[in-house]
Amino acid sequence: MKFFVCIKMVPDVGAPFQIKDGELIMDSDRMVLNAYDASAVEEALVLTEKHGGEVEVVCIGSAKASETIRKALAMGAHKGSHIVVEGDNNFDSGSYSSILAAFFKDKSYDVVSLGKQSQDTDSGLTGSMLAEALDLPYATNAVGLEIESDNLVVKRQGDTGQEMIGLPFPCAITCSNDMNEPRIPNLKGIMASKRKPIDTIELSSLGLSEGELKASSKVTSYEHKPARKAGRKFEGEADEIAREVAQLLDTEASVI
Amino acid sequence: MSSILTYVAISEGKVKRSSLEVLSRSKQIADANGLTCTAVIIDPSASSFASTIQQYGASEIFVVEDASFDKHRNAPLTSALTKVMETSSPSVVAFASTEGTKDILGALAANQKAGVVADVSSFDFDGNKVSAKRPVMAAKMMANVEVEGSPILVSVRSGSYDLIEASSEATVSNISVSVDINTLRATLREIVSATGDTIDLNEAEAIVAAGRGVKDEEAKALISELADVLHAGIGASRALTEAGIYDPSLQIGQTGKVVSPQLYIAVGISGAIQHVAGMANSKVIVAINKDPDAPIFEVADYGIVGDLYKVLPPFIEELKNIKHN
Ligand SMILES: Cc1cc2nc3c(=O)[nH]c(=O)nc-3n(C[C@H](O)[C@H](O)[C@H](O)COP(=O)(O)OP(=O)(O)OC[C@H]3O[C@@H](n4cnc5c(N)ncnc54)[C@H](O)[C@@H]3O)c2cc1C
Repeated sequence: MKFFVCIKMVPDVGAPFQIKDGELIMDSDRMVLNAYDASAVEEALVLTEKHGGEVEVVCIGSAKASETIRKALAMGAHKGSHIVVEGDNNFDSGSYSSILAAFFKDKSYDVVSLGKQSQDTDSGLTGSMLAEALDLPYATNAVGLEIESDNLVVKRQGDTGQEMIGLPFPCAITCSNDMNEPRIPNLKGIMASKRKPIDTIELSSLGLSEGELKASSKVTSYEHKPARKAGRKFEGEADEIAREVAQLLDTEASVI
Repeated sequence: MSSILTYVAISEGKVKRSSLEVLSRSKQIADANGLTCTAVIIDPSASSFASTIQQYGASEIFVVEDASFDKHRNAPLTSALTKVMETSSPSVVAFASTEGTKDILGALAANQKAGVVADVSSFDFDGNKVSAKRPVMAAKMMANVEVEGSPILVSVRSGSYDLIEASSEATVSNISVSVDINTLRATLREIVSATGDTIDLNEAEAIVAAGRGVKDEEAKALISELADVLHAGIGASRALTEAGIYDPSLQIGQTGKVVSPQLYIAVGISGAIQHVAGMANSKVIVAINKDPDAPIFEVADYGIVGDLYKVLPPFIEELKNIKHN
C-alpha cells in the first residue's frame, strides 16, 4: 500500500496577530504542520503499520517548510518531497492543486490523502480539485478509514450522518482531524527523521512556472471581525440568575 | 443575458433554508446588475420543489431528475452541475456551504476551470469579478477576497442572508443526464448515523450546545429538556463528539458545522477559538459555565456563571413559564 500525503506548513491560528492597513502581520512566525494534514499522516501510518506499505509526504512551500516535512518524517513517514516555491507567492487552492497534479502525474500510488482544509484559510478546495485533475475517485471529510482487499472504505461526515463510501484504488481522500489523535514524535523518531531522504523539486522540473500558477482568487485585505457587543455576566445565586436571564431572553432579546 | 445560478440543495425531502438564503442574495445581485436569476435542483423528485423555489425570484429553474441522486454521490452531482452550467453558461454559480457542497466545489471548479471561493459570509458580483468576505484563521479575522474567472463559484455560510420572498413566473427546464451507476467508481454503501429526529443545525432557529461540562446522563437529560422547551436543535463541542457522547454530525465549530441561529445556548463549553469559529454569528449567545474566566463569556450576550446542574433546572422552569403565558 503506497500512501502519498500532501502536507502544508501554516501559521499557528492561536498565535498573536495584528492587522495594519489591511495587511496581516503575525507577531511571531509560529508555523506548524496543518492539523488536518497531521491527521492524514497519522491515519496513513496506522494503515500501513497494519497492512504494510509506505508513506511519503509531499509539501509545497518555502525553504522553511522543510521543518514541516521533518515533523512528518519524525512521526514515521518514510520519505518526503519538497516542492520549493518563493515565500510570498499568493497561491490559492487552484495553484496548489495544479502543482500537486503535475507532481503526481508520473507517480504510482494507491492513495493520495490530504487534510480536508488548511487551518488558516479554511477553504477546503484543494483535495477535490486534485482528485478531479488526476481523475481519481475521491471522498472528502473522512472521519474513519479501513482497507478492504481492493477498496478503501471511507467513513465521511456528511450533512445528515456518516456516509460509508467504498473507493477503488487508486483514490484520493481528505481527512478530518476528528479521525485520530496525531502522534507526537518521540526522540527516536526525531533522530531517525534526520536520516530520511527529502527530495527537493523545483517548479520548473514539473514543467511549471510561478507565473502560470496565477491564483483566480486573491485576498485584497484583512480586517478585524466586528466585535460582538460586550455582553453581561451574571454571577450569584444560581436560581436567581437563571430566572433573570430567562426573562431577559424574552423581554429584552425577544428570542423566546 | 448573463446569469447567476443558485444550486438549491434538497435534504430529507425538503428545500434547504440555507439554499434559499443564497437564492435570495443571488436575486438581489441579479437585479442590481441586470442579470438573470436562475436556479438548479438535482434530486430524484426535483420538479416537485420548483414551486417553492419560484417564490424566491428565480426566473428559470433547471430540474435534473434521476434516481441516482437519491443518495449523495460526488461524481453524478458534479456531472449534473457541469451539464447545467454548459447549457446555461452562468457568470456566477452560488451554493449554500454544506458538507455536500464542500465535497464537490473544488472538483467542479477544476473541471470547469472556474474561479472559486468557499465559505463566504457575504459576496457581491459586479459583472466581472466576485468580491467576498470570509472568516479565516479559525474565524479570528475576516479576509476580503476578489475572484476572477468564468464562471465563478461561491459557497455561502448558512445564516449569512435573510430570506426575501420575490414571487416570479419561472420557466422550468428539464435537463437530462444519464448516470450509469455501474460506472461510478465511488460507491455509497450506507449512511450510518443519521441524526434522525434532531433538527438540522444549519436550519435551526435555536440551538442548545453541550460541551465537556455535560458529562453524565443527568446533564444530557437537562440539555434535551432545554432543547425541547425551545424547539431547539442540539449541538456539541468537539470534546463531546470525540468522546462519543453526541453524534459527530452535531459538532459545531471550525471542523464541524457553522451555524447562525437566533439563539445559541452554550452549556459547559469553554469557548476555544475552533468552537467559536462555528457559532460566533449567532444572533444572541447565552453561555452557562462555572468558570467565570471561560473565554466563551467574551462572545456571550448573556453569561451565566454557575454550575449547569444548578442553573439549568430553574432556567428551564422559567422558560416553560414564559412559553405558557
Ligand atoms: C484544528 C482543530 C479543529 C477543531 N475543531 C473544533 C470544532 O469544530 N468544534 C469544537 O468544538 N472544537 C474543535 N476543536 C477543539 C477545541 O480546540 C476544544 O478542544 C474544544 O472545543 C473543547 O470543548 P469543550 O469546550 O466542550 O471542553 P473544555 O475546553 O474542556 O471546556 C469545558 C468547559 O465546561 C465547563 N464546565 C465543566 N463542568 C461544568 C459544570 N458542571 N457546569 C458548568 N460548566 C462546567 C468548564 O469550566 C470548561 O470551561 C478543534 C481543535 C483543533 C486543533
